[in-house]
Amino acid sequence: MSHDSSIAPKLEEIKQEIDQALPNASQEAKDTLLGGVEAQLRSGQVEPGTTSAGRVGSRAGKVSELTVIAPLKPGGADRLRSLFKLMNGYFGAADRVGTVHDMRFVFLPGDEQMLFATAFDGDWDSYIDDFATQIPVEMDLLFSEVEGWPGIHDPSVKDFIVEYQHTAEGWYVASPDLTVADTRRAQKKAEIVDELLDKVGSL
Amino acid sequence: MVDATDAIDLDDLQSLIVFRRPAPYWGSFVLARFGGAAQGRAALRGLVPHVVSAAEWGAGRRNLSVAVGLTYEGLAALGLPAESLDGFPVQLRDGMAARASRLGDLGDSAPDNWQSPFGTGSVHALVLITADSEALWRESLAAAGRAIDEAGLQILGRQHVAALAGARTTFGYRDGISFPNIAGLPESPFTAPERPIATGEFLLGHPSESGAVLPMPQPDVLGRNGIYAGVRKIHTRVAAFRSFLKANSQDAAGEELLAAKMVGRWRSGTPLSLAPAADDPSLVTEPDRLNDFTYADDLQGLICPHGAHIRRMNPRDSSLATLADPRIHRIIRQGAVYGPALPDDVLDDDGAERGLFFTFMSARADALEFLKREWIDDGNTFNLGSERDPIAGNNDDDGATFTIPARPVRRRLRGLERFTVTRGGEYAFVPSLTALRWLADPEP
Repeated sequence: MSHDSSIAPKLEEIKQEIDQALPNASQEAKDTLLGGVEAQLRSGQVEPGTTSAGRVGSRAGKVSELTVIAPLKPGGADRLRSLFKLMNGYFGAADRVGTVHDMRFVFLPGDEQMLFATAFDGDWDSYIDDFATQIPVEMDLLFSEVEGWPGIHDPSVKDFIVEYQHTAEGWYVASPDLTVADTRRAQKKAEIVDELLDKVGSL
Repeated sequence: MVDATDAIDLDDLQSLIVFRRPAPYWGSFVLARFGGAAQGRAALRGLVPHVVSAAEWGAGRRNLSVAVGLTYEGLAALGLPAESLDGFPVQLRDGMAARASRLGDLGDSAPDNWQSPFGTGSVHALVLITADSEALWRESLAAAGRAIDEAGLQILGRQHVAALAGARTTFGYRDGISFPNIAGLPESPFTAPERPIATGEFLLGHPSESGAVLPMPQPDVLGRNGIYAGVRKIHTRVAAFRSFLKANSQDAAGEELLAAKMVGRWRSGTPLSLAPAADDPSLVTEPDRLNDFTYADDLQGLICPHGAHIRRMNPRDSSLATLADPRIHRIIRQGAVYGPALPDDVLDDDGAERGLFFTFMSARADALEFLKREWIDDGNTFNLGSERDPIAGNNDDDGATFTIPARPVRRRLRGLERFTVTRGGEYAFVPSLTALRWLADPEP
């Protein structure tokens, strides 16, 4: 790779940072990493890929991440396993929320803690108050096995979530500029265009 | 469900909460600073007798509203203990200038460009006066001024408002029409056709829509029956707005239709939903009909666009792309015009300051920030991507659009500008009359 003179000093600086930070990595791995940095510099991308999503968490474009590791009540993991089995992958309330890209509930070894991770559109706390009037039963059902869960109606619920929230150190979003609503709309539009093209093609 | 019969002591409420602005009107926003706790409390003792209660308003005293709001700095200056001050929400504690990024007050609207004393942290008290005659306004302003002077308060600014011809805004629309239907408060002819909204969405100390009582400052006597207010001075770029209408219309009728599509009401105040093709002036004489509509027959926005200002601010029964409860985002909006009208047909900016003073009130201190950030400066909830409110949005970028659903294809307008610019603002607490007297007590 030929180094552009304007970015050469910056690359040399980053190369030294890589050598210092990753002493155990192979030369091939370090070269690959440096190649990625160089591509980013050459593309003119000066903004970081992710920014802060408020008090805790990261944001990439319109999408934010929320990762919570919370203590469970004794036996809570088993009861939640039963619940998820009964739900059989159907999260109707999340469908209605319309800003949730994904959610995962993982019990950490020992079943004493649950990891809840989600990617969603916008600021995480904007619509919490709406959940309290629109889907309170669903929210409390999913989180009532968390030790100390104050209930979605409790004004302290935002602080409670922040207490157990951890910012993802590494996070990738394929379409940071598309919200769930944008994606659903784009899908519908594509179907309509395809239908139109089918009709035109069969004339 | 919330018991709608939760008894409200109307004697305890400042009438600003229930006030329906008369037409025409004259008024003032007086911004003052306390020298110290004793002086501030003395000033409140002088002002309280002038404050009009909701009960007086209900009993027919509809020609005048005199209200008092206190900023966090003002409450601190009165010597409130830390445990009371800590109970105020972050919006009040930090002040409106510090919340600029949450309100989209950027660029021309940034606090660095605000008019003093807004955003300087020096405002302690706001006295808001609205009267139905010039004489009554002057008399009330003088009386409030005497109370302030006698206590030796420093007046930082007096901002006057007055109705333009026909009580229209600087953009030419009749305003002050929509008002939430609040359980336990007197109804208005303008009340929207909605189930009464839980009192606690507006007055502190009462159950909210979720059934929970929202957090409020303590002790009870301080917080109960109070409400949070965001006061905003908004400059309107009328020439730019008129030029946009002209550039995107074939003729004068087209301009009026576009103006109606952007707001959701014809300039007369008649909603598009009741008069889709042309204004129906007969409705204006029937105030009880101006809010009597839903969007049930207009889910596609063919009559009133999803992006129209009033549909964004109160989606009613619209089908939304994300889960939201419009009933918990309703606010009480009191607006009044400052500055001269731009003469008819003028399309060049004359450099004059003109716009509206708003007082937005809710028991949710973040109500204004939510509406500005989520429903004015974004379109996701309305399935409009990043499209902003065509009137109040920060439409600075070249890509800004306004979509008008139509058949066979929608119309999408470009070339929007930022038609409204923030000139200043303060968050304040509007206490109950009991709380005002408690705050005025020289020996708390």
